[in-house]
Amino acid sequence: MDFNLSREHEMLRDMVKEFANSELAPRALELDNKGEFFWEQVKRSGQLGLIGVINSKDYGGTAMGHLARMILIEEISRVYPPLGFLHQTGNLLMYAIETFGNDRQKEKYLPALCKGEKVSAFALTEASGGSDPANMQTEAALEPDGYVVNGRKSWITGVDPADVVGFVAKTGDKFGAFVVEKGTPGFEVTRREETIGLRSLPVNEFALTNCRLPKENLMGEEGRGLVCALTTIATIGRTGAAGVALGIARGCYEIALKFAKERLLYGKPIATLQAIQFMLTDMNVEIEAAKWLCYSTAWQLDQGKTSRDLAVDIARCKLYAVDVANRCAYKAVDIMGAYGLSPEYRVIGLLRDALELGVAAGSQEVMKVTIGATITR
Amino acid sequence: MGLEILVCIKQVPHPDHFSEIQVDVGRGRVIGAGIPVIMNPLDRHALEEALRNKERFSGRITVIRMGRPRLQKAVEEALAMGADRAVLLYDTAFAGPDTLATAFTLFHAIQRLGKFDLIYCGNETVDSGTAQVGPQLAELLDIPQVSSVQEVSFVDEKSLEVRRAWEHGHMKVRLKLPTLLSVTRDINTPRLPTVQGIMGVPQKEVIIWNAEAIQAPLENVGLNGSSIYATGVHEFRAGRRREIMQGSTGEKVRRAVARLKELGAI
Amino acid sequence: MTKRGSMSDSGEIWVIGEQRLGRLEEVSLELLSKGMALSQSMGVTLSAVLLGDEVEEIARELVFHGAEKVYLLEDARLRYYQSEAYARLLAGVIKEREPQVVLIGATEIGKELAPKVAAKLRTGLTAHCIDLYVGEVDAAPQLIHVVPGWGGNLVMHIICPQKRPQMATVKPGVLLKAARDENRKGKIIRVKPDIGDKDFSRIETLEMIEESPKGKPLESADIVVCGGWGMNALGDFSMLQELADILGGAIAGTRPATDKGWVDEDRMIGQSGKTVSPGLFVSLGASGAMHYTTGFMGSKVVLGVDQNPQAPIFQMADIGIVGDLREVLPCLIEELKKDRMPEKL
Repeated sequence: MDFNLSREHEMLRDMVKEFANSELAPRALELDNKGEFFWEQVKRSGQLGLIGVINSKDYGGTAMGHLARMILIEEISRVYPPLGFLHQTGNLLMYAIETFGNDRQKEKYLPALCKGEKVSAFALTEASGGSDPANMQTEAALEPDGYVVNGRKSWITGVDPADVVGFVAKTGDKFGAFVVEKGTPGFEVTRREETIGLRSLPVNEFALTNCRLPKENLMGEEGRGLVCALTTIATIGRTGAAGVALGIARGCYEIALKFAKERLLYGKPIATLQAIQFMLTDMNVEIEAAKWLCYSTAWQLDQGKTSRDLAVDIARCKLYAVDVANRCAYKAVDIMGAYGLSPEYRVIGLLRDALELGVAAGSQEVMKVTIGATITR
Repeated sequence: MGLEILVCIKQVPHPDHFSEIQVDVGRGRVIGAGIPVIMNPLDRHALEEALRNKERFSGRITVIRMGRPRLQKAVEEALAMGADRAVLLYDTAFAGPDTLATAFTLFHAIQRLGKFDLIYCGNETVDSGTAQVGPQLAELLDIPQVSSVQEVSFVDEKSLEVRRAWEHGHMKVRLKLPTLLSVTRDINTPRLPTVQGIMGVPQKEVIIWNAEAIQAPLENVGLNGSSIYATGVHEFRAGRRREIMQGSTGEKVRRAVARLKELGAI
Repeated sequence: MTKRGSMSDSGEIWVIGEQRLGRLEEVSLELLSKGMALSQSMGVTLSAVLLGDEVEEIARELVFHGAEKVYLLEDARLRYYQSEAYARLLAGVIKEREPQVVLIGATEIGKELAPKVAAKLRTGLTAHCIDLYVGEVDAAPQLIHVVPGWGGNLVMHIICPQKRPQMATVKPGVLLKAARDENRKGKIIRVKPDIGDKDFSRIETLEMIEESPKGKPLESADIVVCGGWGMNALGDFSMLQELADILGGAIAGTRPATDKGWVDEDRMIGQSGKTVSPGLFVSLGASGAMHYTTGFMGSKVVLGVDQNPQAPIFQMADIGIVGDLREVLPCLIEELKKDRMPEKL
C-alpha cells in the first residue's frame, strides 16, 4: 500500500498552508473578536479554487475530490476554523445540487458559489430535533403553480450571509428538498444565536411564511428529499466536520509543542518534563490515528464508494476526530497554563471552536447510533 | 504580441530550517539532506512578474533550473503558478560550479532553447546570495541587464523602463529587449497557485537535459569551469564567548551589563 | 583574460572607487585600507580606478587614503552609473594594465558591475568577502578570500589560484576605513574613455533620485540595537528605540521586523540587507538564522536576548540572556538608566 499523498495533494497542502499562514493567521483573532462574517476570506478561497473541489469543472468546480477537500479544510482550520467550517456547510448545497439537481439548477447556482461570490446554507434541523428529521413540521403544500412553504428551521449555520438556502420540507408524508433565494417573499431570517465558538460564522433561525416557490425550486425527485439531505450531510457535512476537527487538533498540538520547547520552568524548558511529554504524546498519537481514519474515508469516497457503503467509516471518522480535537484543545490549554487561557495564544479560541463540532452534521451520539446499529445488524 | 520569457529558478533549503543544516567543518562540506526545500523566494517574484507580462501581452513562460530530478518542488510550484514548461539541467559535469560556470551552463541551454525577449531572475538566492549569476548570464548572452529591479514598465513592444534600487534612493533605467532583469521583493506580491493550476501540472512539459544535450564544453561548466573554489570551512576570528547569564531576570540583566562594561562594549 | 597567475606576479592591486552624484562611497576608503595591507604583504603597487564626470577631487581623496595611482576616466556621459559603458571601460582598462587583484565594494552598483566585468574577463569573483589576506594553501602563497559560511560563526576560505585578475567584492561596513593623510603623494593618470553612442543604445540610466534616510545612520554607529520577530510580544519598536537612545546607538531590524513595518527596509540586517560591524551589537528577539547572522558577525561584542534557550543566536553571542523580552527589556533599560543618574553628593 502506498500511503504517500500524490504530488498534487502535497502541492495543495503547501498552497493552503501558505494561504492560511499569510492571509488568515494575522487576522484570525481580530475576525473572531468582531464576530462579523468574513467575506474577504471567502472570496480568496474561491479565487484559489478551494470552494468547488467536489464540483465538476462544467460549473466552475475543480473536481479534485474528497481527499483534497479534507486536506484543505484541515489546513485552513488549523489556523482559522470558521472558514474551514464554512467549507463544510457551504459545500452541502453545492453537493446536493451537483448530485440531485438538474442542469438548470447547476448552471444557475454553482458558478457563483464556486467562485466564493455567493454563499449557501443547508437546513434540515428544526425545533423538533436535528436528530429526528422525520418528525419535522415544515410543510410545502403542493399547488398548481408551485409550492407554498410554512415552517421554521433552527440552528442552521450561515443563513444570514447566504444568497441561497437549501432545505427539506414535508409534502403530505413525503419529503422534498428545495432551494430558496435570499429576498424571496416569505423567507425571513428571524434569529442569530449566540455561540460560544466559531463566532464569526452566524448560526440562525429562519422562518418560511406562505413562501411561494416555483416547481423548478424542487431539487431531485419528489419524495426523495430526506434521502438527498441525509446523503449530503453524511458525504459532505460529516467529512467536513472531521476535517475541521483534524485542523483544530493539529493547530493546538503545534502551538502547545512550540510553547513547551520555549517555556522555562526551573531553568529548563517544560518540554523536558515527563508530565508534559506524556500529554504531547497522547495528542500526537491520537492526531495521527484520526488523520488516517479521515483520509482513508475520503480516499474511498474518491474511489466511487457511496455514503451508504461508507456509512460506518464516515460516522467513525467524524466521531473520533471531533473527540480528538476537543481532547487536544483541552490538553493544549492545560500545557500552556495561564497563557493557554489568553486569547492571544489561540488555543482557548480553538477549544471554543472545537466545542461547536460535536453537534455538527449529526451529534456524536447519532454517530454512535449509526455505527452501533450497522455493526450489530 | 507574444513574449518568450525565461525565468531562472533555484531550489534552496527552507530558510526556517537553516539551523538544521550540518556542516562538516573538517571537510568543508555542507550536509543538506532531509532539509525541506522551496523555490528561492526572490525567484517567485521573478516568476510573478513574468506571469503578469504574459497576462498582458500573451506569450510563453519557460522556467529553467539546475539540479537533481529526484526532488522537483520548485519546478512543480512554478508550473502550478502558471509557467508553461520547465527545463531541468542535470549532469555530474555541472556540479561544483562558481557563478560564471553556472552562467555558462544556463547559456548553453539557452542556445538550444532559442531566442527569449525577456529573462527574469531573482536578485539573489537565500543560500549563496552572490547576486552574480544574473549579470554574468546577461554578459554571456550579450544582452543588457539590471539588478535590484523594483518596477518594470513597457514603454512600447521593444523597450522598457525599470526602476532600480540603490542605497539612497532609486534609478530610472531605459532598456531595449531582449534583456535580463534581476528583481527584488518590492516588485510585486507573488500569487499562490490555484487548485486549477495544481491539477494542470502533470500535463505540462518538463525537459531534462545533460551536458551532451546542450553541447556544453566541459571546460566551461561545473568544477572544471570554475575559477574559484573553497579550501575549507573555519570558525571566524576567535569565536564567541557564549556566556549565558543565570539567575532571575534582574540578576541576568545586572550581570550582563556588568560583563558588557568589563568588555568595554558600553 | 585567461592569464595563469601566481602570487609572485608584479601586477597591481586595484580598488574600484565608487562615486555617486559627486560623492565618494565610504566603502572605497574601506577597500583602500585592505588594499594597503595587501600591497604591503605582496610587495606591489596599490592603485584605484574612478569613473565619472568632473570627479578629480574625488581622485585626490583616493590618493589621500592610500592609492599610489588613480586611473581616472572622465566623461560627461559617465556622470551616472551606466551599466554597459562602465563595464566595458573597466574591463578594457583591466585588460590593458593587467592588475592581479581587483576589489569592488558590494554596493547596489558594485554587485551588478563586478560580475559583468568578471564575466567579460572570464575570471573568478568572490562575493561579499569579510576579509582578505595572504595565506598558504598546499605550501604556496595564495590570497585567501574569506566569505560567510553556513550558520553561526563559520566562514569559508576561497582561492582563485589561476585566473587573473582575481576579483572580490566586500560589503560596506565590514572593513575599517583607511586614514586620511593629505601629505600622501600619488599619481592621477587620465585615461581617455572611448565611449560612443553604442554604449547607450541598449541601456541608459536616465536619472538617479535620492531619498534622504531618517534617523541615526546605521553603518557608522558604534552601537546597533536590532529587533526581530520576538519583538511582537511588545507590539512595536518603541521600547527598542528607548534602549537604543540610552546607549546612543542606531536601530535596525531583521526581515520579519521590516515586514511588520516596525523599522524601515534600509535598516534590515542580513545577507540581503546591511552588514554592520559595530563595537556592540544587541540582538533582541531574533532567533539567529544564518542569513541574519552574516549581517553582524564582524561585530566586536554581541549581546543576544531571546526566549528560546536553543535559539542559534546564543552561538553567535558573547553575552546571552534567555528570557521573555517583556521582562528583560524594561529591566535592561532600568539598569542602564542607573548609570546615567547623577551622583548624589
